[in-house]
Amino acid sequence: MCAPEVSGHAIELESEYGVPAVAVHADAFSRLVDSVLRVNGMPRARRAYVPTPVLEKTPSELRGYIEGNDPVRGRPFIEEVLEALVRPVAAEDLRGVAFDRSTPRLLDPDTEESLHRLFREQRWTDFLPIVLPTEERVEAMLAGTSHAPDEIVGRLQPTGYREWWEFTVEKVAVNAVMAGAEPAYLPVILAIASTCMTGRQSSTSSMGNMVVVNGPIRHELGMNMGIGALGPYNHANATIGRAFGLLSQNLQGGSVPGTTYMGAQGNNFSYNNVTFAEFEERSPWEPLHVQHGLEPGESAVTVFYVWGNTWTEGLREHWQEKLKAMLGGQDPYLGSILVLDPIVARELSELGFRRKEQLIDWVHENVRIPAGRYWDNFTSRNLIMTMAEQGEEPFASYAKAPPDELIPMWEKDIINVVVVGGSTNGQWSSFQGRPLDKRFRRNPTDPFTVSVDRWR
Amino acid sequence: MSGKVSVLSPVGFPPKVTGRGLAPALDRLDGKKIFLVDVGFENSDNFMVQLRDWLAEHEPRVKTEVVRWLDQHRPDPELCRRIRAEGDAAILGVGL
Repeated sequence: MCAPEVSGHAIELESEYGVPAVAVHADAFSRLVDSVLRVNGMPRARRAYVPTPVLEKTPSELRGYIEGNDPVRGRPFIEEVLEALVRPVAAEDLRGVAFDRSTPRLLDPDTEESLHRLFREQRWTDFLPIVLPTEERVEAMLAGTSHAPDEIVGRLQPTGYREWWEFTVEKVAVNAVMAGAEPAYLPVILAIASTCMTGRQSSTSSMGNMVVVNGPIRHELGMNMGIGALGPYNHANATIGRAFGLLSQNLQGGSVPGTTYMGAQGNNFSYNNVTFAEFEERSPWEPLHVQHGLEPGESAVTVFYVWGNTWTEGLREHWQEKLKAMLGGQDPYLGSILVLDPIVARELSELGFRRKEQLIDWVHENVRIPAGRYWDNFTSRNLIMTMAEQGEEPFASYAKAPPDELIPMWEKDIINVVVVGGSTNGQWSSFQGRPLDKRFRRNPTDPFTVSVDRWR
Repeated sequence: MSGKVSVLSPVGFPPKVTGRGLAPALDRLDGKKIFLVDVGFENSDNFMVQLRDWLAEHEPRVKTEVVRWLDQHRPDPELCRRIRAEGDAAILGVGL
């Protein structure tokens, strides 16, 4: 997401350094910019717009934008920019516009039909039917945890430079009721929420999520890790993932297309956030949560961000070539989560991959693409190049590599392996996905694998 | 279905928004220096070069310098201090 950052930097220049600053945006983001400025206390910040898109436009086309009209204001762009710097500023805008909002604990009583309509109109649902969160149902849900209803669980925001909204155990329980979850699922849902990683991220790239559950809680809740585990065939898988989505949009201040959600196409994964349990008992390898520092007997949940996936089955004679081709067409920033049926995991183990880390090493070493193509990606230019320019290795070296030099598609920290499936087929996929970039976490050191037991 | 029921709000707790003030406007553009800040998103560098060239041709009373924001996702206090010390205004972009 780029427009909030540009607005945020302009706000800093204005308010902290006393420098008048005009932020220029593509017009598709005008409503988003309006809402970002409002919640940053500077609703009438200086700004101007050029047509969308800016990407891939030639210098002469960009010159045309500069000489043309601001499509939002309908006036010459350059006049909008220069006049904004000399136009007198109202006293209220020199102070900034502060305001406070409160959200009631209880809504006004109404009929079920009217309340369902209200929830849809307020965009508090995913437009599938919900369970109304009555006091009785929420109280029953809260029995699923020992934590107090008013305990703060965390904070969420849909994107950078928006405000962080706070939420309690009770608020998570409300959304869990709406999703149709059982009280026993609440510790898992609380653990997901405690990561402060939203399931309704506003990125234009339409990222979704993947949630992997490990440890004894999988069996306690009867989660599906076998046949159809990633499909709509299990109550816990379905409703835990749905609760993640609902709580994200409602506890972060919304997920509304054009203002708090800007994904170009959206992501169907977001309906239940690809939520499933790892089949630890049929995996030849260490469980995912143990790889990330938790104890084998501990219950845990891991939150990834995912964009799409590619599918194949079995290993067969040419599996290495096939895997390199399959993964080599993906995106260098987005990473890979290899989701393997136990059949494939065992085959790989028998080929010598005795630990997940060995498979991760193989992918890192063997899936390579020319440096020229590596850098010819939107995400590489906008998210990796910044690290390269600051001297961070290996990206700084990749930036110096000749265009034809083959460089690793992914570093090891964004390659993950999960085992799941009912072994009716040697199915496996590479989800384009990764842990949330540390730069975008609430705190860079926040873990993406967290204990469920803490929330029992 | 005709009876009224009471339900809890599913919405989180928004923080209080603190007002942040705009800088005063410039009294004129003549002789002022405007930093053209490429925040770093794709094609923003080309946009700022085009803007610089356009201003040089059509608004020679204004001095400009194209600069690059260090990391588009983080504050850049060093650059902000330099803009305050050496310039009068800034144009940042492009949000896309």
